[in-house]
Amino acid sequence: MFKRKKRQVPSLNTTSTADISFMLLILFLVTSSMDVDKGLSRQLPPITPEEQREELTDVEERNVLQLHIMGDGTLMCNQTPLPLRQLQQRVVTFVGSEAERPKHVIQLEADRDASYEVYFEVQDAIVAAYHQLRDQQARRQYGKRLQHCSPEQQQALRDYYPQRIAEVNNSTMATARQSSAASSEKGGRP
Amino acid sequence: MSRFRRHQRKVPGLNTAALPDLIFTVLFFFMIVTHMRKVTPMVQHVVPAGTELQQLKKKSSIVYIYIGKPKGDTQTRIQLDNRYAEDMEEVERYVAAERSSMSAEDRQQMTVALKVDKDTPMGIVSDVKQALRKVGAYRISYAAVERRRDKM
Repeated sequence: MFKRKKRQVPSLNTTSTADISFMLLILFLVTSSMDVDKGLSRQLPPITPEEQREELTDVEERNVLQLHIMGDGTLMCNQTPLPLRQLQQRVVTFVGSEAERPKHVIQLEADRDASYEVYFEVQDAIVAAYHQLRDQQARRQYGKRLQHCSPEQQQALRDYYPQRIAEVNNSTMATARQSSAASSEKGGRP
Repeated sequence: MSRFRRHQRKVPGLNTAALPDLIFTVLFFFMIVTHMRKVTPMVQHVVPAGTELQQLKKKSSIVYIYIGKPKGDTQTRIQLDNRYAEDMEEVERYVAAERSSMSAEDRQQMTVALKVDKDTPMGIVSDVKQALRKVGAYRISYAAVERRRDKM
């Protein structure tokens, strides 16, 4: 007779939760960026002008590869024009054949009105040349590719082929020991 | 007659109770893998393509410098953090300030990412590099996009 009426809690209407979370999702899609930053890593030399001028006088003429990017975008290699696509091979033969490898210097000079793209491609080709040489040496010495070598082996290879690039900058010359592009951030200083 | 009355068919409603959960999952995924954009690039920069690129690892230790032409402008400008730099001293001050706001660990491996337009004259780039050397920011990275090796 006094049977209780069964009460039910009304269920919450969740139809619009999907809309709300869609809004959040779209907000995050718009405001965030997923692009990974990639770049050519370089190590700039510290500023100590006197010391570096001395350092460069030690270098003999035959150990220097002079690269000059002209204002119109042509690349001069030891005063003769060189197409960009041959640069890598040129650097490989220069550094690879050098009897005194640790003494070689690549001197890079860019005119102030030269375009950055050419400069970047020159830098990229030089790094690619070093990478190729280290890879060759890795196969010869350890019988495997450079990226499969252990960090110690990679360091040894970096020491074997040190990157020695001098950049001429606003008529001041500075020897730039560039960080290695072969692997992580441990600088490939000679 | 009524025996042949059609039985009314109803399509059962799709249960969308799990839809918010699905979308939340996607949302959390995006929140984790992306990072908030701090600066809006005001200059147009098309970075060059290279083969020997390395990925920049820690986002918190990177300082960005954009160099390029603003839209509809012919003069190349340097952009630091949503404003234009007027001279090289400003670049030096900016990098020094960014570094002092970093944690000690990030300061050790601070990298300056130069996002430079292809057609920028080298004079500006070497001025910026000179400014970076002055403040002791030696580790730099020329931003670029990947290109396949054989297309050289």
